[in-house]
Amino acid sequence: MSSVTQIAPTPVAPVVTRPRSRKRLRKAGWNVLGLLVLAVMVFPVYWMVSTAFKPGHDILSYTPQFIPTHPVLSNFTDAIHQQFFWNAVKNSLIVTSVVVVLSLVLAFLAALALAKFSFYGRKPFIVVILGVQMVPLAALIIPLYILMSRVHQVDKLSGVIVMYLTFVLPFAVWTLRGFLLGVPKELEESAMVDGATRFGAFVRILLPLLGPGLVATSIFAFIQAWNEFIIAYVFLHTPEKQTLMVWLASFTTLRGTDWGPLMAGATLCSLPVIIFFVLVQRKIAFGLTAGAVKG
Amino acid sequence: MAELEFIHVGKTYGGEAPAVRDLNLKIDEGEFVVLVGPSGCGKTTALRMVAGLEEITEGEIRIGDRVVNDLAPRERDIAMVFQNYALYPHKTIYENLAFGLRMRKVPKDEQRRRVEEIAQKLGLADMLNRRPAQLSGGQRQRVAMGRAIVREPEAFLMDEPLSNLDAKLRVQMRAEIARIQQALEVTTLYVTHDQVEAMTMGDRVAVMRDGVLQQVDTPQRLYDAPANLFVASFVGSPPMNLFEATVEADGTQLVFGETRLELGGRLLRDYSGRRLVVGIRPEEVREASGWDGARVRGRVLLVEALGAEQLIHIEIAASPLERADLVDAAAQPPGPTLGVEELERSVTLLGRFDRHLLLTPGEAVEVAIDPSLLHFFDLETGLALPTTDVPAVAGVAG
Repeated sequence: MSSVTQIAPTPVAPVVTRPRSRKRLRKAGWNVLGLLVLAVMVFPVYWMVSTAFKPGHDILSYTPQFIPTHPVLSNFTDAIHQQFFWNAVKNSLIVTSVVVVLSLVLAFLAALALAKFSFYGRKPFIVVILGVQMVPLAALIIPLYILMSRVHQVDKLSGVIVMYLTFVLPFAVWTLRGFLLGVPKELEESAMVDGATRFGAFVRILLPLLGPGLVATSIFAFIQAWNEFIIAYVFLHTPEKQTLMVWLASFTTLRGTDWGPLMAGATLCSLPVIIFFVLVQRKIAFGLTAGAVKG
Repeated sequence: MAELEFIHVGKTYGGEAPAVRDLNLKIDEGEFVVLVGPSGCGKTTALRMVAGLEEITEGEIRIGDRVVNDLAPRERDIAMVFQNYALYPHKTIYENLAFGLRMRKVPKDEQRRRVEEIAQKLGLADMLNRRPAQLSGGQRQRVAMGRAIVREPEAFLMDEPLSNLDAKLRVQMRAEIARIQQALEVTTLYVTHDQVEAMTMGDRVAVMRDGVLQQVDTPQRLYDAPANLFVASFVGSPPMNLFEATVEADGTQLVFGETRLELGGRLLRDYSGRRLVVGIRPEEVREASGWDGARVRGRVLLVEALGAEQLIHIEIAASPLERADLVDAAAQPPGPTLGVEELERSVTLLGRFDRHLLLTPGEAVEVAIDPSLLHFFDLETGLALPTTDVPAVAGVAG
């Protein structure tokens, strides 16, 4: 579904009193395994980037070239000059930024309701939020298409944005709710006694403390909206309205695939996600609520 | 500064037994009242109702001359110190202290002046740029206090503010809070489950149990004249010794085990021929040498040396209190032991003795009982009983 991986902590070997060499061997074993996994994860990315710099005959040669010996930039210029590139960039940016912003605002409010208020049907609601994520996307495409065409949202960015939100929001609400539950209720109570309104306490006290949760959520929303292909492909027909991922597919035609520019385009498309991640990752500071209550 | 008043206040959480029942309590301007009781007695609920964090099911709460039932917490002009301090972790100590002033749109330089003044007073001046995580428990506690003080509110509400501190620091902060309160003369309602805190800090102490106010009085009167068995067993550490006895001879004698005790100048005429509960404070249990009054024979079970004094558990023949529901659960007297075999029923009297008294477990001992120091309670209602010839200690407080 997404490329969010590698979040699990490195496995820690249990501490046992065994001969040192054995312990070291074990550790080395884990390390080798880790490196293997890393290689498997990184190789496709490397191959994409290196192919983007190879001239055409190197790409199609039977002996694979792991390092581009004669790097060229022509693939990039070809990709950029491919029809509708800038349209696609604009569309992707619009869709992604709207999805990120809207999902953060809506998810924050929804998570507040779920975490801080008790209302009839709260538990079933929480379960349903989780449940809808289990439904495979492919099964929803046709019903969604019918639904969206009835409300005249096919071939419109707004329609795609709404659909992306429906996929991003459950995860976002669920995540933020978890973060909210971790904030002691005395903090907002204290703010209210100190003179803040209920909403003021949410915004001034809870919101800043949700930083890590908001960052995690926004990364997820960004990746989802930026990388999504199937929905965009099915719902956006007009070339001017297509997003970058659909535009990438245009390199594959009936006559074959133009690998060089395709890889260059793919490399370019990956950049914003990486840049976004680098920008916000520092905010995933752990233990932000430390010191609120007794230590 | 204002007075604080509960008028027939009740709180019910949907369908459950009421958490607070018909609470009437008035805290005068500048007074320090401690609300004390075992956990779940409704004391925190009562406090939170004043703060506006809990809705009031019935009755009225007044701060000054305003009925605050329908006011939001921020409109009540009170400050609250929470058990876990509730400092804002993302703000510096300065911002924490200034938060309430900022919310009330106090001018910037006035904010700075007041925050710095308070920080100076509480020894936090060097820490204004730090964040709560960088402070020790005691310092955080001080910041929490400072955040309340700096607002100059109508009243302070404190919800077990010391319970997260270690024992030594707690004693120190206890004195500090009492000192601050006296200096500022702010009406204060303080909630705790610790009766030592209650006794040492409060001008008056209100004891609650199961949502019902049991007694409100000065610490000394609460100790000397508990209104019922619950207060008697809750206040005082170690708790009051309680056992059952029968009143005989027209209310002039008390009989328990093999002991027949002349009541001296006191009369329990209405209870003649009936059973009641007798209470005696540990410090009134004395060794009988040189005493020419009534004595009770017993046997030493255990000696706990505390340095300055010793606590001695003495087993005597008497009926233990059957009605466990009338006393504080934590102060339950130990059950009958096997130490005195010839006696059918025995009760452990806890005595506070001078450290020079040499007694060893198993030793037979005679205990002096001064009838004028005994407390009497009804077996059914648990209420304190007045004796006809009324010495000061037996008066019932309202």
